[in-house]
Amino acid sequence: MRRALATILGAVTLTLLIPCLTPAQTDRGRLDVLVKDERGKPVADAVVSLTPPGAIAGPPRPGAVMDQQGKEFVPLVLPVAVGTPVTFPNRDNIRHHVYSFSPAKRFELPLYIGTPAAPVVFDTPGSVVLGCNIHDWMLGYVYVLATPYFVKTAEDGKGRIGELAPGTYEARVWHPRLRAETEKTATPVTIAAGEPGQVSFVVALKPDRRPIRRPNYEGVQGN
Amino acid sequence: MAVHFRSFRSRLVVVFLGLFALIQATGYFAVTAFVRASARHTVDDELRLASTLFARQLDVRTQQLVAATRLLSGDFALKTAVATADHATTASVLENHRQRVDADVLMLAALDGHVVADTQRPAHHGVPFPAPRLLAEAEAGRDASDVVAIGSNLYRLAVVPLLAPEPIAWLAAGFAIDDRAAADLRRLSGLHVSFVARRDGDVVVHASTLGAADRRTLASGLLALGAAGLLELDGGEHLVRIEPVGRDVVVVLQRPLAEALAPYDRMLLILLAVAAAGVLLALLGAALVARRVSRPVLTLARGARRVAAGDFDVAVKVPQRDELGELARTFNEMVGGLRERERVRDELERTAKLKRFFSPQLADALSAGDESLLASHRRQITVVFCDLRGFTAFAEAADPEEVMRLLHEYHATIGPLVFANEGTLERFTGDGLMVFFNDPVPCPDPAARAVRMAVAMRDAVATLLAEWRRRGHALGFGTGIAMGDATIGRIGFEGRFDYAAIGTVTNLSARLCQEARDGQILVSEPVHAEVESLVEAKNVGPLPLRGFARPIVVFDVLGLRPQPTEPP
Repeated sequence: MRRALATILGAVTLTLLIPCLTPAQTDRGRLDVLVKDERGKPVADAVVSLTPPGAIAGPPRPGAVMDQQGKEFVPLVLPVAVGTPVTFPNRDNIRHHVYSFSPAKRFELPLYIGTPAAPVVFDTPGSVVLGCNIHDWMLGYVYVLATPYFVKTAEDGKGRIGELAPGTYEARVWHPRLRAETEKTATPVTIAAGEPGQVSFVVALKPDRRPIRRPNYEGVQGN
Repeated sequence: MAVHFRSFRSRLVVVFLGLFALIQATGYFAVTAFVRASARHTVDDELRLASTLFARQLDVRTQQLVAATRLLSGDFALKTAVATADHATTASVLENHRQRVDADVLMLAALDGHVVADTQRPAHHGVPFPAPRLLAEAEAGRDASDVVAIGSNLYRLAVVPLLAPEPIAWLAAGFAIDDRAAADLRRLSGLHVSFVARRDGDVVVHASTLGAADRRTLASGLLALGAAGLLELDGGEHLVRIEPVGRDVVVVLQRPLAEALAPYDRMLLILLAVAAAGVLLALLGAALVARRVSRPVLTLARGARRVAAGDFDVAVKVPQRDELGELARTFNEMVGGLRERERVRDELERTAKLKRFFSPQLADALSAGDESLLASHRRQITVVFCDLRGFTAFAEAADPEEVMRLLHEYHATIGPLVFANEGTLERFTGDGLMVFFNDPVPCPDPAARAVRMAVAMRDAVATLLAEWRRRGHALGFGTGIAMGDATIGRIGFEGRFDYAAIGTVTNLSARLCQEARDGQILVSEPVHAEVESLVEAKNVGPLPLRGFARPIVVFDVLGLRPQPTEPP
């Protein structure tokens, strides 16, 4: 199955070192992640999550923000833990009509300006695709995770999850353009105290088919 | 193949006509072929233009459809209905939107390729989308449109993604390409229009302005044709052009060739008429020319035949001024020459015939054609008789050969003297002859001539007599000359005529000759009177002569007086 899917090749290197060098180290571990595509290029905006064994505590989640600036969703990908309220401030001088039909959260913010009073609470894990009804190119993702341990890779494809209790976790990777079949595959990762663990993923991505944002009509302000 | 012509006329006509007809036929067929090719080119061009225009028209309409469909795909209500999998609402929205853009069909396909809603079959869902290739194209981000068969009908379908904001379904809109569309196109272009799907050797005519039978013919004929060609349909040959309008679908435009050729038919008919008239005129012309040649030639031939038969009295009449006229003229000259030669020959022949019997002058005069001379007439003539004395006795005693030899010498001597003096030798009298002067050709001095001749004869014969005497023959020569009127003319019968003088003068001359002894030239008084100055004469008369009542005064001519020479 793994072979047939040609997804995560699982090049996991674990370096379990028991550091006794720095007294500053506590009994928490951390994980360095690296996500690359099939051609070896670093992949940004990938969300790597670690699911701990056992139940997950549910402290109140801090709020998250999905901005609309310059007629774009900022950031493109917003990973949140389940139950996080997200606000959608509109920093543009025109209205936007935010919507999503994703099963994880179906909602709509009809034409509004400024910040809606009530944030939207994302209470189901999964990906939520955001669009704007009046701007076809606007695209954003809220990725709702069951685990609070996650990181989004930067431009260099790297990220770090810190404050991890030692143990064995399940690592997963997600990307907006990930080929659907691979999302569920998990890789076991063992975290030890003091020493940073490392995991890298190779992902197969679909081509970027976003509608092209065409330049403004020359001389005309706005759009 | 050798064809023998009996007449120059028919040969000329046939050759000329044949050549002309050949040229005309060549010209006619060349023009016909050219016209046909030209008409075909024109129709080809028409068809090409029409098919290009139609394909373009279809493209334009498709672009419009794609644009409209894209707009539809932005509709939030539709997105909501689809995203919430509300099939009934989706179908309803689809139908509403179909009417908005005046499409014939609007379909929604799920991402996995099965139909979610179809305005044509509202109850139908779950079936595969009829054009999966278009979905793949749309997914790849390219313009996805094609002519697709749905059931037995053709549609131009355009597929666009339904974005919310990522593709959640495919929206397909289409307009029908049916008999009505074909009829519309026919109305515009005047051509027959068919829409045909060709795939894997299978040909299906989905829509057409043709009838059922023709559709079948078209279907079977299309397998063989490339982009264009000729097809035999009910109603004759059709020029056909095939233009693709989709991956497997083509539009077939056609026009009957006869229709395209119709305007030229008239022209070709006129050309044919002109050619025929030309040939007819050529026939006439050739016949006329032939006649102008053959008629004079025949005339000449007839003339030549008559000349060959001996009739030189021929003059060919050919009034032309050309070579044939020249030929006729020279022919006439030639016949004239022959005529002249014949006449001269005749004359010479006659003269020769006459000369055997007449003196040269008489013969000439007679052959000159003056036959009137031979008619009886009366004239004063001088008659000379002469003969040999003792000839009878000699003839009895001597050998016949000797006699003839002597006579021959005698005649050879005296004969020329007659001609020399231009006397008319009337006859031979065996041992003598009769000559007269002043007839048929008059002369001024007949008596003088007669006497001179007689004297010359006497002298010439004297030599002969001496010779004969030596041989042992005793002969003499005597002459008688008289002058007087006589009746002269032709006597005898057909086959043998003589020219004779009848009268007293003849008798007298004969009697005088009888009386003359050897060496004597006895002349009558009138003669003497004439020649007195010329001769020395002795009167020996009057002599009684038999047949004359009274004695005649006679003179004997002794010789010629010497004549004074002519002053220089």
